[in-house]
Amino acid sequence: MTFSPALEERFAKLLTSYPAGRTRSAVVPMLLYAQDELGWVSRELIEEVARRTGVTAVQVDEVIGYYSMLRRHPIGKHLVQVCTNICCMVVGGQDLFEHASKTLGVGHKGTTTDGLFTLEEVECMGACSWAPAIQVGYDFHHQVTPERFDRLIEGLRNAEAETRKV
Amino acid sequence: MADLVTFTIDGRQVQAAPRTLLITAAKQAGIEIPAFCYYDGFSLQAACRMCLVEIEKTPKLQVACTTPVTEGMVVRTDSPQVAAARKGMLELLLTNHPLDCPVCDKGGECELQDMVFRYGAGESRFVETKQHVDERQWSPVVFYDKPRCILCYRCVRVCDEGLGVGALGVGDRGSASEIIPNRGDHLECDECGACIDICPVGALTSGTYRYQTRPWEMDHVGTICTFCSNGCKTTLGVRNGEITRANNRDKSGVNGEFLCVKGRYGFDFNHHPERLTAPLVRVNGKLAPASWAQALATVGKKFAEVKQRGGKFGVIGSNHTTNEENYYLQNFARQALGTSNIDHRRTGDVATLIDALHGHAGALATTADLYTTPAALIIGSDLSQQHPFLAWQLRANFRHHQAKVFAITSGPIREDRYAAKTMRAAEGEELTAVESFREHLAQQKSLVILFGDSIKGDAVRKLVAFGDSLGIPVSYVPLVDYSNSRGASDMGVLPDLLPGYHGVREAGLEPGLAYDAILSATDLDALYVVQENPFAKTPLASTGAFVVVQDLFLTETAERADVVLPAASAYEKAGTVTNVCGEVQKLKAGAKTMGAKTDLEIMGLISKEMGVSIGIWKHDTVFAEVRKSVPGYNVALPVVETGGAAPTFPVNGRVPLEDRPDLISSDRNTLFLSGTLGRYSKMLTSVLEYPGKLYGQPVETELEMKEAQNT
Amino acid sequence: MPPARSHGRFPGFVTLLRYTGRMAKLGEVLDSAVAIARGMTVTFKEMLNPPITEEYPDAPPIFEERFRGAHVLERDENGLEKCVACFLCAAACPVQCIYIEAAENTDQVRISGGERYAQVYNIDYNRCIFCGYCVEACPTDAITHGHGFELASADTSALVMRKEDMLRPLGAA
Repeated sequence: MTFSPALEERFAKLLTSYPAGRTRSAVVPMLLYAQDELGWVSRELIEEVARRTGVTAVQVDEVIGYYSMLRRHPIGKHLVQVCTNICCMVVGGQDLFEHASKTLGVGHKGTTTDGLFTLEEVECMGACSWAPAIQVGYDFHHQVTPERFDRLIEGLRNAEAETRKV
Repeated sequence: MADLVTFTIDGRQVQAAPRTLLITAAKQAGIEIPAFCYYDGFSLQAACRMCLVEIEKTPKLQVACTTPVTEGMVVRTDSPQVAAARKGMLELLLTNHPLDCPVCDKGGECELQDMVFRYGAGESRFVETKQHVDERQWSPVVFYDKPRCILCYRCVRVCDEGLGVGALGVGDRGSASEIIPNRGDHLECDECGACIDICPVGALTSGTYRYQTRPWEMDHVGTICTFCSNGCKTTLGVRNGEITRANNRDKSGVNGEFLCVKGRYGFDFNHHPERLTAPLVRVNGKLAPASWAQALATVGKKFAEVKQRGGKFGVIGSNHTTNEENYYLQNFARQALGTSNIDHRRTGDVATLIDALHGHAGALATTADLYTTPAALIIGSDLSQQHPFLAWQLRANFRHHQAKVFAITSGPIREDRYAAKTMRAAEGEELTAVESFREHLAQQKSLVILFGDSIKGDAVRKLVAFGDSLGIPVSYVPLVDYSNSRGASDMGVLPDLLPGYHGVREAGLEPGLAYDAILSATDLDALYVVQENPFAKTPLASTGAFVVVQDLFLTETAERADVVLPAASAYEKAGTVTNVCGEVQKLKAGAKTMGAKTDLEIMGLISKEMGVSIGIWKHDTVFAEVRKSVPGYNVALPVVETGGAAPTFPVNGRVPLEDRPDLISSDRNTLFLSGTLGRYSKMLTSVLEYPGKLYGQPVETELEMKEAQNT
Repeated sequence: MPPARSHGRFPGFVTLLRYTGRMAKLGEVLDSAVAIARGMTVTFKEMLNPPITEEYPDAPPIFEERFRGAHVLERDENGLEKCVACFLCAAACPVQCIYIEAAENTDQVRISGGERYAQVYNIDYNRCIFCGYCVEACPTDAITHGHGFELASADTSALVMRKEDMLRPLGAA
């Protein structure tokens, strides 16, 4: 399995960042970086990471099972995560999620037909002071109202259309 | 020991070695601390929280399985708080555990059942519906029932640490956690079933034993596995004369609880539908069933007639029959038939090693030595595949005592992963390669050398010379293939050697034809084959010879025979066998097959038909004679009789052998093959890995690097 | 002469008659009649009640519900066998008269409600002592004591009952 040169470089650095004989420590960051590039964790990737870190594939499987941010299936281009944990919930997180669900036409862990968005209902992401919060990819959006949410989605859709045109 | 730690447990002052874990120290003091995840010999987990105990001056209950004893520690295992904790833990373990004990295979020998009975509450306070997940089959051998699993990680550890396979893991988290196999929905592993036996509950169940019977319904017969030469003790669960399972949960025997796929699941050859149950006699060119009396009379008459006219006999012995049978067979050949043309398929050069070791004392390693030796050298064998128990011993030795393992093989082996140094060398060139290890080997305190069939004849002498030149105590294990290959050699089923490696010339006889010469001779009058299948590879040149075969199945050899006598398997008879390390162990009859007789009885009856007396054909009488007349076999009877392994010390002197290294070749059986016998085991042939491949371990990047450094 | 008879503390009507002399003979007759009537009270009373003895073998006997007769292997509401071959009855049996061979249910052949069923279920009535321990041990209420009792046989081999002999017929609750 081959990765982009940048990722390969990152992997090479990772494997030397831990004490000798502890290459297994690199499993989680390797998976995360590879997932950013590929969008999800494929069987092939599991085997590859296992080979490079000197662990068995089933041990990599264990790690993936444990961390919910590692995904075994492809998702949409933008992962929209809506917090419905207590702080967000009391200021409308639940309603926001329902609104998002209606706007995007998908439920929890659903992907829109155009493959652009995947919606996810998540637990606390540490933005309680600015509740209700959502996360799109690696970007946080604070105090999101349904209107702001729609604008955000619209913006992303337009940006996508722009890139398609070019 | 002067530096023992004194601590108090349940009001008693007890001493233990420092750093002993509390759970072990309590056990030594006769106090039981219940635990699921703690398992002697494997890494600590502290997952089940069953072993909580009260330790004075610590505010909360502590887990006894990871707490070492310290001086002056005051421990209570019988306080109400501890009892409440155990009760609570069991209630939690039972949240999703179905109460289907009546159908569960583990019922009756389930650790959870026992614990709940002793420490648990009668009623659960949980009212929620239990989670249900359907049972899954991971291989013909392994089934997994998730709800029953209590996540003690025992299976994961035994597979990873014990077997070095690492086929199991724990996937997901929280209440969805479950054991996962290495290939997504199925297992690709050694199929040894260690995970099933070690499972404290019925989460992992065995394909052969599933829903068959109950532990208390069976007779448990401790005998020796009849497949490879490692001589593992296997406890057969026998019901109505039929074997329903094999395991070794009582950890008796040389192997403790270790068994490979053959030991645990290969027993089903014993009740294969093609087992011979009546003698067959060739009438008008076709084999037809006959009575024992008829068949024996035919054989007796023919043998007597050939003997009388001075005809030429050939006798081929077996790698599976007992020492008594082998001893009796060579007696039968040399006395009753009056021939020296007796041999067996030689799978390792034991005789040359014994000769080369003259003047050395204690230079043959035992299986126990492999667990304690500071260093071991493997030459020309994929140990994990061919000698799984020896590999298990070395792995345990590395785990517990950091043993240095060296290996010179023609391909990647599992031992590469933890070996101090490994090297690839073509077969036959290992001895040149071994020189590059000299420096490292000479630094060790002592060394055990295990060598395969590529080291034979002169090479054995050279290897011993190399061992001598290291200047450290070196002992050897000549690797042979089958359950009593070693015994066949020791008992003189050889054309040039009598029992105990005495030359035939000492007895005024001339060496007879060897294995290949018997098959290629064109003037044989009669051939007698005992539980061996020579014609599978080489046809018999003497087309006119009268062939008598005794075997379990109608093999290629039996098909050519004039008389076929149904023989009993090793699981159906008593006697002794000698394992690869020369340890004598006792067989115990478990199963029965109607119509079959033991080889010993058949030989006795044939000699009776011939009108020759070569002694009583009772195994204990013959064994008494073996103990008396075979040097090295004067083993301690109480050890053997109580199911122990008695090491033999063969002659320490020159062996007048005719060097025939060309006759020595291993069958290169993998974990899933065992000559003719393995073919008749449905379970062995049904696993995905069958027939397996030697030196088929994946080469890891790290290893490639290590190898580059080594060479 | 009949021996003198005591009439208790109360001299009754008959005794009075005897003292009147002439009437003595008649009194004796009456005395006997009364004694007979008194002796027959239970008989006369019961003559009017229905009989309590059993008419076996002309009529079927009536059992108490708890009578421990020949075993019956029960079926569940779907007609599947309740027995899951757990061997607990065999384990509880003090005379070792129960023999079971278990087998696994498959999707094609489903015999019992659980994962496994009894392929062979024999009770040797030569040995059975009708103690009821098996019934008590059964976790699925599969084995019960029926009211069958005509088990005697001159042939001991006929006393080993097979599962088919004991299974409750389909449709009979």
